Amino acid sequence: MVTLIATQSLTKTYGNRVTALSDLTVAVEPGIVGLVGANGAGKSTFIKILLGLLAPTGGQARVLDLDPTVDGQAVRSRVGYMPEHDCLPPDLSAAEFVTHMARMSGLPRTTARERASETLRHVGLYEERYRQVGGYSTGMKQRVKLAQALVHDPDLLLLDEPTNGLDPAGRDGMLALIHRIGTEFGISVLVCSHLLGEVERICDALVAIEAGRLLRSAQLSDMTTVTDVLSVEVSEGTDELAARLAALELPVRRDGRLLLIPIDGDATYDLILTAVAELDLPLHRLDQRRHRVAELFASTTQGDLQ
Amino acid sequence: MLRAPQSRLKGDTAMTNVELSGVSRWYGNVVAVNDVSMSLGAGVTGLLGPNGAGKTTLLHMMAGFLAPSRGVVTLGGEPTWRNPSVYRRLGLVSEREAVYGFLTGHEFVLASARLHRLPDPEAAARRAIELVEMTDAQDRRIGTYSKGMRQRIRVAAALVHEPEVLLLDEPFNGMDPRQRLHMMDLLDSLGGAGRTILFSSHILEEVEQVSGTVQVIVSGRLAASGDFRTIRRLMTNRPHVFAVQSTDDRRLAVALMGQASVNGVDVDRDGLTVRAGDYGSFTRALPKIALASGIRVRRLLPSDESLESVFSYLVEA
Amino acid sequence: MTALDTHQPGRPAGVIHDIGYQRYDGPRLGRRHIVGALYLHGLRAAFGLGRSAKGKVFPWLIVGVVGMVAAVLIAIRAQTGQAVLSYAEFPEVLTLLIVFFCAVVAPELASRDLHSGVLPLYFARPLRRGDYALAKLAALVSATFLLLAGPLTLMFAGAAFTVDGLGAVWSEFGDYLVALGYVAVHAVVFSAVAMLVASVVRRRAVAAGAIVGAFLLTTPVVGVLAVLPSETASQLAGLASPITLVGGIGDWAFEAGGDLGIGRFGPLYGAVALGLVGVCVLLLLARYRKVASQ
Repeated sequence: MVTLIATQSLTKTYGNRVTALSDLTVAVEPGIVGLVGANGAGKSTFIKILLGLLAPTGGQARVLDLDPTVDGQAVRSRVGYMPEHDCLPPDLSAAEFVTHMARMSGLPRTTARERASETLRHVGLYEERYRQVGGYSTGMKQRVKLAQALVHDPDLLLLDEPTNGLDPAGRDGMLALIHRIGTEFGISVLVCSHLLGEVERICDALVAIEAGRLLRSAQLSDMTTVTDVLSVEVSEGTDELAARLAALELPVRRDGRLLLIPIDGDATYDLILTAVAELDLPLHRLDQRRHRVAELFASTTQGDLQ
Repeated sequence: MLRAPQSRLKGDTAMTNVELSGVSRWYGNVVAVNDVSMSLGAGVTGLLGPNGAGKTTLLHMMAGFLAPSRGVVTLGGEPTWRNPSVYRRLGLVSEREAVYGFLTGHEFVLASARLHRLPDPEAAARRAIELVEMTDAQDRRIGTYSKGMRQRIRVAAALVHEPEVLLLDEPFNGMDPRQRLHMMDLLDSLGGAGRTILFSSHILEEVEQVSGTVQVIVSGRLAASGDFRTIRRLMTNRPHVFAVQSTDDRRLAVALMGQASVNGVDVDRDGLTVRAGDYGSFTRALPKIALASGIRVRRLLPSDESLESVFSYLVEA
Repeated sequence: MTALDTHQPGRPAGVIHDIGYQRYDGPRLGRRHIVGALYLHGLRAAFGLGRSAKGKVFPWLIVGVVGMVAAVLIAIRAQTGQAVLSYAEFPEVLTLLIVFFCAVVAPELASRDLHSGVLPLYFARPLRRGDYALAKLAALVSATFLLLAGPLTLMFAGAAFTVDGLGAVWSEFGDYLVALGYVAVHAVVFSAVAMLVASVVRRRAVAAGAIVGAFLLTTPVVGVLAVLPSETASQLAGLASPITLVGGIGDWAFEAGGDLGIGRFGPLYGAVALGLVGVCVLLLLARYRKVASQ
């Protein structure tokens, strides 16, 4: 399995003052990867270096086992990019635009048209594709942006804030689409997002960058492991339950509406269940507490005073 | 409609209340806000809604920039429209960033203090900057700040006259997770100290963390108010969905299907998905049924009580 | 994966076709094809083909005027046998129209992509940034060339039927070819300047105005230099503006008009024009190199 993206001490400074990336060393495996924490200079610099549009000041990067500074053409023919900002010409239809972009990636004319049509179907644009893009809603425009990144069948997709400007329903749809692409279509995806909830939802792995440096790079499953604490919530009678559990000599801790009890074997579950049943309380939640990605950003003392 | 927790500020709690009664605002044929009544007290409230739902219009009416086409918006009993004295008690952080990059943070907040004609602008500026934890960076030019820092300095400028009410329009826009956490903590502490904080957002993830108290606006109408979990439970026409894992899922499924409160059970590899038409009965019955059948429940997780689900149900309705 | 319901006697057959995402293993064409596709796309855009009616108005208006002039000349030639205007004089007379055409088309090719923010999508592809700039420039040069070459060809066709004898037709052909060369010089020089201006201005209307300005604002300089007492100065005056620069080349190489009086400075005019085109192209490439890394 080829490493998707690998960097070694990657550094980029602009004119001695602004350091966008600093000594970044990270290896990313194929799959759906979230890039979080880097906003502004760091993120766009990272993407441009991966695409071979910018040369690093120091260190090196490899994409799909190619060096973008040397094999930029090859990298760009195997990568699809969906930018964050507005980038669609308003007076072309989606079908025409995506077909043109397919040709710009080297697809022959009729194939370009066919693949454009297929890709638009996969992203969920149907009759609308023959209307001019200028009249599209934000959600539709995001889909067109995704379609042009996908049309030439890349091995890696770079998506920059793909749910930007979408309302919750649109966001759901886009995330589901990205998940499908990463799992069913067999294409690796790098998703840049500042919403940790999204990342937790669809990504297999996470790369967190802060102030141009690597904060953490890990599989998501490692970051959301279960703890050995059970969280219990009843919609009424929390105090009663806490008292009863304490009486049973369980070390109960309270966190707002939740009661937290360390797990000491299966007996813990049974005691809790019995207590709830005997008190005739409505059991709303019983679950092993999991770590959350957000903890990564709360834990260190490093502020954003840059 | 639930009320927010009582204020802990000294003085009359009614002074910090923002009240809207029957407020509407239209522009020709476009009705931006349609018959909204709400009452905001101390603590943090999230104003939620899709883009274009009318959140900014509402905030501007609360801040006295727009007159309601109908109804009354009051702060502490006084209308906010055409009432400059209301600004002594109100601070607004608007969506668009209109700061001058060449000013230092300190200069910017000081200017705001002077504009408010405070008796001791220097001290007020210092206090406000300390409140937002920007003391170390206050002498740098705003142009060198990150997005999070810029937002915080704008909050400082809006707090310099110690208003009881703070309104923020999409304050988390584009912030990265750490900046967002900082801002959330700040708002939480301000709200905990007794101020009335209202912020708007269309990104649910942000709101879920700060407060459980929301006002949901859809197409100009107030769709729901209060704690979103409670709102979910009020939606009795939608069965509650729970994910259940136990030591014997299928037997538990059979037992649950015998309950009148259960509409349906799906069985798959990861466990059961239970749709309960009657929340109260089901949540009381489950532990008892499990115990009676000798089945240990290892996980019970409500699947659709997230803000996201509540919101989508409200928008659909 | 296609699920096939094997045909059993008495039971109807059924198939579920796989219309899931298909990977692409087909040919990926190289640089030549990509640049060619971009060039053709630009050429079509120049004449508003594949766009709404609004995009067609201006270019075809100009084409119409040029065509009408040609039609009148052909008619006069047919009636009286007289060539009121020589082939080489044709582009000279229509110089301003060529400027307008470039002013309308160059923004369509360059400014529009800049304004819509679509360039990152182009540059994230195997297309080189230099190739992008040159393809667009080539499209403009070709479009401008066609604008005049078309009517010129019709004029030649018309003349060929009017004159007697193969020898006369052959000499007509010679004049026609010379004129085509002159048209090519116009196309290259004007397009280079127009394209450079359009590549730095985002709004199409402003770019059009700027292009017209670039050509016309230098005319007074020529005027002043021309009336100076020095003979050399008035002969060199034409270098100051692209229009007179090309006119000077015409005087020197294509023997048209000769009213600019450039004396022996013909080759200098040629060199300066070459230099101007070179500088414009280099600046154009530099501009897109900068844009690509932003």
